[in-house]
Amino acid sequence: MKKSLRMGGIVATAALAAVSLAGCGFGGGTASDGADGKATTLNLLVPSYSDNTQGLWETVIKDFEAANKDITVELEVQSWDNLNDVVTTKVQGNKAPDIMNGGPFAGFAADELLYPIEDVVSADTLGDFQDSFVESASVDGVQYGAPLLASARALFVNEDLLAQAGVTKVPATWDELLAAATKVSKIGGGVAGYGLPLGSEEAQAESAIWFYGAGGGFGDATEITVDTPENLKGAEFIQKMVEAGATQPDAGATDRSPLMDVFVQGKIGMIIGLPPTVGQIADGNPEMKYSVNPIPTMDGKPFTLGVADHLMAFQNDGKKQAAITKFLDFFYSADQYVPWVTAEKFLPTTKSGSSAMDSNEDLLPFLEMLPDAQFYPSTNPKWDATNAAFKSLVGQLAQGKDAQAVLSEIQAKADAG
Amino acid sequence: MTPDDMTQSIHETPVPTGAANGRPRAGVVRARAAAGTRLTDLFSALPWIGPALILIFGVVLFPAVVMIYNSTRDISLSGVDKGSVGFENYETLFAFAPLGGIMVRTVIWVFAVVTIAVLASLALAQFLNKAFPGRQIVRMAVLIPWAASVVMTTLVVYYGLEGYIGIINKFLVDINLIDAPYGWTKNATSAFVWSIGIAVFVSLPFTTYTILAGLATVPADVLEAAKMDGAGRIRTYVAIVLPQLRGALSVAVLINIINVFNSLPILKIMTGSIPGYDADTVMTMIFKYIQNEHKIDVASALSVIAFLIVIVIVAIYVKLVKPMKEL
Repeated sequence: MKKSLRMGGIVATAALAAVSLAGCGFGGGTASDGADGKATTLNLLVPSYSDNTQGLWETVIKDFEAANKDITVELEVQSWDNLNDVVTTKVQGNKAPDIMNGGPFAGFAADELLYPIEDVVSADTLGDFQDSFVESASVDGVQYGAPLLASARALFVNEDLLAQAGVTKVPATWDELLAAATKVSKIGGGVAGYGLPLGSEEAQAESAIWFYGAGGGFGDATEITVDTPENLKGAEFIQKMVEAGATQPDAGATDRSPLMDVFVQGKIGMIIGLPPTVGQIADGNPEMKYSVNPIPTMDGKPFTLGVADHLMAFQNDGKKQAAITKFLDFFYSADQYVPWVTAEKFLPTTKSGSSAMDSNEDLLPFLEMLPDAQFYPSTNPKWDATNAAFKSLVGQLAQGKDAQAVLSEIQAKADAG
Repeated sequence: MTPDDMTQSIHETPVPTGAANGRPRAGVVRARAAAGTRLTDLFSALPWIGPALILIFGVVLFPAVVMIYNSTRDISLSGVDKGSVGFENYETLFAFAPLGGIMVRTVIWVFAVVTIAVLASLALAQFLNKAFPGRQIVRMAVLIPWAASVVMTTLVVYYGLEGYIGIINKFLVDINLIDAPYGWTKNATSAFVWSIGIAVFVSLPFTTYTILAGLATVPADVLEAAKMDGAGRIRTYVAIVLPQLRGALSVAVLINIINVFNSLPILKIMTGSIPGYDADTVMTMIFKYIQNEHKIDVASALSVIAFLIVIVIVAIYVKLVKPMKEL
């Protein structure tokens, strides 16, 4: 009898352990749903744009909770590096966040995890988004992303270095860029003419500068086109820049962030930068004389690479739609949104935000470029694979691999999905 | 009395159960009772091994089963399970041309790191086994690479090798070994070689201390006898000390093989920005599948392959070296 009791205890312990283990890995969400009028909890998953990000969201949430006593918002801040792993794990465990701030969303939309954005914002908020962002926030004509912030790229020029090298005019075409960068590189002492970050961190962005600048591009929502004659011209000119010594050494394995630090230290003549670069220079090397200019292209036609990040709303059990709508409408109201986007030093995506920020001199050159902005085909289901292929393969251009072979390799990986 | 009670009493009466003498010795009942008694033994042992079993199931077997399961599924980019695809993920992997090079590099990585680490540790341990003033301090110093985070150690070297600000690069230029800073971490071969160096460095403390523990067990009288018989230092080391170290060495090698094979951070930091797959091992490739391509299914398939490789290596090793066997 005693023995069987002990056995029972063992079995129970084992079973309990097994159940609790299973609970860790695969349990469903247990957050209160609020369908019956009780308090609703919204889970908000955001990446960190800067050291301010967490504080900025906390301010928004505090104000929101004060205005809506029946809703609490749980904030989770992750680094961009981890964001994708975190959300994938959450989706796998049926614990998707209710609202997420992220980049590409086509995968979530294809898996039917998202609310169409018109279901979770009021008509006023929906109409306030700038038209240029709506297309890149939509899949098959249905808008799933609420454009949150945008950035555009521009050519940052170290005026002192260019003057020292005897370059009088900021280059507007590739040939001018090559000539100017070669001259700057000749200054010596570790100075490079053009900063070319083809390392994995953001290789797709630098590639886009050259491919779109050649009149090519990455394709559209239905087709990825990397292996094209225009892109080949871009790729070959990248190699020409490297071979002429117009860039920093080992361009194929140089990541963007560390290279930007080198530019801020005044050792690079020209580099493609973002709105936050202005703040970086102000913090790191305020004495540097620099200017922000349009990106040089093959024929000098203006172009910039635009990137928009989005807020998206996950359906989960479908019971929090009303609360999500309240939160998004609250956030996109000008007195919440404008301070938020200003503090993050990015460009606004709403009409009201844009007119409120017109007077911001730092951002003006970027705001002017936005109409010419090209976007990644991020609503193409194969964009993720394309993006990954660029990150891991395009740097080989700077290592002397045949340009055509590199493009074919990326295209093949993109097509494989 | 029911038949059940009958058997029960047969077991219990002649053989009182207890931790120390719970085994049947009586000849007559032996054959019939053996099976039942082994079971009772197992039951009475369960409370002691139970927690360990639960841990093994929960922490080792359960994740392994999930990993194998995932490797046969089609998991979308956002993590939704789209159903079974059989061995398609494995086919994708084997159709991936750089995989051969990745496998070869993994073998080079493990072999080079473990060999160099063990040889260096043997020398270091021999040195630390001698009595000299300040030995305690030196012994503590050897522990530092172990105490420091691997990521931190690697980052220190990584920034030292940086082209613009790297102190190692600057030093090499200053002593005229190279003309201009070289992109050590930006070229596959040099980055890989430096990674091996770092991996050896962080493996030293554990290996040295294991061997040091082994050295402490070498009896002084045996060494004295060797001296009496006129054996030289090298002869003594090879014929007397090394065989005594067999236990310690084989454990150090086995643990190092598994550790080094599964090591991600060093290579991830040192070779992460290099384009292509010329500096990848199985571990960094798994990481690239997850981080860059968001292919959890293919990453799981590669993990299963890595898991099998480790099991095979360990099996061969255990068969050849018999680390558990006492001398």
